[in-house]
Amino acid sequence: MTIDTVDRTATAAVSLQGLSKAYGDKTVVRDLSLDIAPGEFFSMLGPSGCGKTTTLRMIGGFVDPTQGAVSLHGVDVTDLPPDKRDVNTVFQSYALFDHLSIWDNVAFGLRRRRVAKAEMTQRVGEILELVQLTGRDKDKPNALSGGQRQRVALARALVNRPAVLLLDEPLAALDLKLRKAMQVELKRIQREVGITFVFVTHDQDEALTMSDRIAVMNDGTVHQCGTPEDIYERPETRFVAEFIGTANLMTGTYGAAGLHLPGGVLLPTGRLEGVEPGGEVSIAVRPEKIWLSDLKPDMVQTDGILRATVYGGATTTYLFEIAPGIELSVLEQNLERARTEERWADGERVRLGWHPDHSLVLR
Amino acid sequence: MTRKPRFAIAVTVVFFALLYLPIVAVVLFSFNERKSLTVFEGWSLQWYDAVSKDRDLIRSLETSLQVSAVAMVGSVILGVLLAFGMVRARSRLASAANVIMLIPLVTPEIVTGAASLMLFKGIGLQPGLTTLMLAQTTFSISYVTVILRARVAELNPEIEEAAMDLGASRRQALRLVTLPLLWPAILSASILIFTIVFDDFVLAFFTSGVDPQPLSVRIYSAIRFGIEPSINAVGTLMLLGSILLIAIALLVPRLFGRRNNSLDLFGG
Repeated sequence: MTIDTVDRTATAAVSLQGLSKAYGDKTVVRDLSLDIAPGEFFSMLGPSGCGKTTTLRMIGGFVDPTQGAVSLHGVDVTDLPPDKRDVNTVFQSYALFDHLSIWDNVAFGLRRRRVAKAEMTQRVGEILELVQLTGRDKDKPNALSGGQRQRVALARALVNRPAVLLLDEPLAALDLKLRKAMQVELKRIQREVGITFVFVTHDQDEALTMSDRIAVMNDGTVHQCGTPEDIYERPETRFVAEFIGTANLMTGTYGAAGLHLPGGVLLPTGRLEGVEPGGEVSIAVRPEKIWLSDLKPDMVQTDGILRATVYGGATTTYLFEIAPGIELSVLEQNLERARTEERWADGERVRLGWHPDHSLVLR
Repeated sequence: MTRKPRFAIAVTVVFFALLYLPIVAVVLFSFNERKSLTVFEGWSLQWYDAVSKDRDLIRSLETSLQVSAVAMVGSVILGVLLAFGMVRARSRLASAANVIMLIPLVTPEIVTGAASLMLFKGIGLQPGLTTLMLAQTTFSISYVTVILRARVAELNPEIEEAAMDLGASRRQALRLVTLPLLWPAILSASILIFTIVFDDFVLAFFTSGVDPQPLSVRIYSAIRFGIEPSINAVGTLMLLGSILLIAIALLVPRLFGRRNNSLDLFGG
């Protein structure tokens, strides 16, 4: 289910209203409000210490909010302990029960719910098949590899068919290759079971590739909440622009002719949406949006002095200085040739430009 | 190739000889046919027979077993609770308790014994079975806590959260997840305490009354009136019991298959 097909009037799977958490005089989550639709793969993305894990733990019931409320499918669960909430968690450390077999680990939640023996056997078998661990059910967690342990943690949570599954950086302990494989795997499983996933990560690639929607967090607040495309193509704050992907930042004074950069350089940006003339403003441009050839007349154009050329296999990155202290990195795909000799020498003046829509005005 | 360190080997042999020869002598002479403690004249089980017929000795053995069992159960329960408190409380009180707890381990036992006796006298408790049990339980708590504290600190707090996340109440999480993970440490601590209390003499001497007397005190009194070979038989039996218990204590962690702890993220 993508965000477009979610009925926004339906009751949210998770609704956070004015949620705050303070430890002593240190506020880690600040007046946070969010609605997560049923069936959504929702990510909370941010650097460590941004409050994403604390928010997740408040949804799970492991942390009591200082203020605000948590609702699951329209029911206020703010004061309920974890065992009374219809959510399950995949912990960062997996938190498997080492003294129990894989089967008993997975069956733990069903036993607590007093599910009948026959149904339990069937459901555990099904979920082990889903995570491709059939045949390992008698092993102890210590006998499994990191990726397998991760899948046990997932199975142990999913077998209970919770309304919402919380995942706290579940892939952080895996090596890069395994992580990539598990990203695809997690997405497949989520689509198959149709359960709402709330996924916490500090890895932007992970969030961009897996999520229906992302909330980018910093300092305990949500900076922006939207689809991966929204977040990447239309970042609203400087933090979002810099945290997700690479952004070329330019700060100057906005006038009728465009943006006045330091050193008397005028950037003919045209009209910038929502910016008052005379005010200082920052704009950002993504490296891959800047053209170095075939420039069109309606583009924002300026001259840059080449400072460096970095060959990166599939792509080449150029660094241009367009004004004192302002460098733009430009990413070009190496479409035609392995670039053994550089296109321009360092210090050469090159015309570059981008479509006016790609000037991102930042708050 | 390096030369064999002859001197080091010699020292090692002498060390173990000094350590174990007296014990070997005790075991050997417990099977002596004669009453002599210097000349071995032939095999016999008569001293074991004598032990089994010595009602005072049997009564002392029962007392020691009883006291050891009570001290074991009492100190393990209290020690485990203390370990949890010290690891999880995160208060200034916890670090203070940490230091206070270690003091009994380094205090000379004769001081502990004398102090206990004075305390019991002071509050009007007559030395007897109760005082003996109280003292042994109290001074065993530290051992339990030292062993358990490390294991409790090693426990991944997410394990208990995971249990609660899966529908267990706080109490069920403790019973189904935390305690099973601590079982090997608890069992080792229990066996250790049982052995220590059973073997203890100094504290037992100060805190027990005339009757019932624990085995260690009984042996000491018996020796004062001349050494009977039956003491050798008792000693051999105690040795056997201790070896058995220590073997169990060493085997328990292996039986539970504890290779690495729950924090091992990259295991397997």
